[in-house]
Amino acid sequence: MCETCGCGEHKHPHDHTHDHDHHDHHNHTKVVDLNIDIMAHNNIEAALNRGFFMGRKIFCINMVSSPGSGKTTILEKTVSRLITGRKIYVIEGDQQTFLDSDRIKKTGAPAYQINTGNGCHLDAHMIGKALKELDPDPQSFLFIENVGNLVCPAMFDLGENKRVLIASVTEGEDKPLKYPLMFETAHLCIINKSDLSPYVDFRKDDFSRNALSVNHKLQIIEISAKTGDGMDLWYEWINSQVSDMLPTSP
Amino acid sequence: MHELSLAEEVIRLAVSEAKSHNAISVSEITLEIGNLSGIDADAFESALAILSENSIVGKNGIKIVRKKGTGICQSCGIEFEMERRIDECPGCHSLPSEIKGGSEFRVVSLVLELEDSN
Repeated sequence: MCETCGCGEHKHPHDHTHDHDHHDHHNHTKVVDLNIDIMAHNNIEAALNRGFFMGRKIFCINMVSSPGSGKTTILEKTVSRLITGRKIYVIEGDQQTFLDSDRIKKTGAPAYQINTGNGCHLDAHMIGKALKELDPDPQSFLFIENVGNLVCPAMFDLGENKRVLIASVTEGEDKPLKYPLMFETAHLCIINKSDLSPYVDFRKDDFSRNALSVNHKLQIIEISAKTGDGMDLWYEWINSQVSDMLPTSP
Repeated sequence: MHELSLAEEVIRLAVSEAKSHNAISVSEITLEIGNLSGIDADAFESALAILSENSIVGKNGIKIVRKKGTGICQSCGIEFEMERRIDECPGCHSLPSEIKGGSEFRVVSLVLELEDSN
């Protein structure tokens, strides 16, 4: 199509005058209708990761939370205590340090640290690169500890099977209403630090009601990674999810 | 500030479209951003303006169409406008059973400047 007048013919003479020098240039404009979702690039990479997990029968959990809710402590305990007969791998995300992956490696699990620099979240491309390095065994578990932030990671699908949100009793029961997208996209919400309940004004019923108002399918459990209280509920949840996803072979 | 990395994605997309059409610049980008999408449209606009400075994208041609969220009330079934994800039905104060609009976050179209020698 002719880009000047849109007439469909290439070789007709345009009726503008050619009184300019033939070495001059003039511009044409062209409208391109894209209708592309801006998350599409991430979502395609997430689909590649998901295919990788399906192919290797790996169960992947994306753990999201605000900073200081106890994600790494929960993971340290989980890597040591979760009885599955499966190998456990961990991808750690934070802006600057190797502190978290060092903590996980001490438990014996292979861990890969992603430093996002100034980035506030992990994206599917970063996970794809980490998977090449980590090369997890078939039929294993992969835990991804996202950057501590209740806003940005919500929008980024990493290809995980399940998203687990860690909250803690020190954070206040209004968090689900303040960060609704994160609560809406989670499958399980862990309320950590239950051992501190006697010392803070956290009202679990209000928290649960707020969380369910943004995501009525959300499952909620209360634990203390420090004392081990409720950790069995977490392990049971993981195992039930895996058996739902991977039926045992005959 | 996930707005910045996603604005980079928009600039990358615009530049790659310009290249594939042999365009010299992008004079206009039209985007749709829903108010329930998780994107702060103002922050996104600022990020695009900053990133376009040293690119072939004209920063005055960034057009953001803001889309409003729509919920369907789970009790009375009416459709109502939503500013936030936790908004209730104005009639009966129930939560929506379905959110229809407001999640838009897309590049609708580009205007490319093509150079043509005569």
